[in-house]
Amino acid sequence: MKLTDSEKDGIAILEPKGKIMGGPDATLLHDKLHELIEGGKKRVIIDLAKVEWMNSTGLGILISSLTTLRNNQGELKLANVTDKIQSLLTITKLVTVFEAFDSVDDAVKSF
Amino acid sequence: MKKPIITDNIIEIPSSEDFLPDVDNFIEGKLESYGLNRSDIADIAISVTELVTNGIVHANKLILEKTVKVEISKKNSEIEITITDQGDGFDPDSIENPIENENLLKEVGRGVFIVKSLMDKVVFDSQPGKGTTVTMTKHF
Repeated sequence: MKLTDSEKDGIAILEPKGKIMGGPDATLLHDKLHELIEGGKKRVIIDLAKVEWMNSTGLGILISSLTTLRNNQGELKLANVTDKIQSLLTITKLVTVFEAFDSVDDAVKSF
Repeated sequence: MKKPIITDNIIEIPSSEDFLPDVDNFIEGKLESYGLNRSDIADIAISVTELVTNGIVHANKLILEKTVKVEISKKNSEIEITITDQGDGFDPDSIENPIENENLLKEVGRGVFIVKSLMDKVVFDSQPGKGTTVTMTKHF
């Protein structure tokens, strides 16, 4: 997995690319998130457009990101959830936990 | 063992998550050569990485000298994969239901549930002191 980040209207946008399956992937996202929080950026969007699939480790990373941000009075939203990941979110009932949007722009407007 | 060993339809890795991409590349390469579509390939690759992670972390406890072995075969329109670790064995029925409300925000505990959802058949053979072998199949 590769990770790039940008910002729009004061909201941090993280864009992972590839597959999220554990190991170094978890560390990369976790470290980036804590860097953002320490920099005062607590409204975050994870853009999943370029993530083909993730396993339960990837879902765990999303949950960890959500709880970490909420514990710091922040919020996480998802954008461009691909079909395979949407299917996993449905199977695991995590669709009830995450707020997801069809585009990054829609996610930005929702804050 | 310090790096993966690949022989025809088998990959065997030391117990480090650093080798997960090697397993994924091996499995996806095989599945592409068998002609599966991307959705089926993803379902199988997700399931394999789930069980290999369990083998590396929970069974073999990240001890590099212990290995996780993955074997893949194709019979007509069915893919069969076996994953074997060198841990202490476990009871798959002891796993909590991850879709209960009190478990939804837990960061771990969904792997086996996801595998059972994505694959057609999953059989655990686990005995104390003899490790675990998981055999799973998917029709395509």
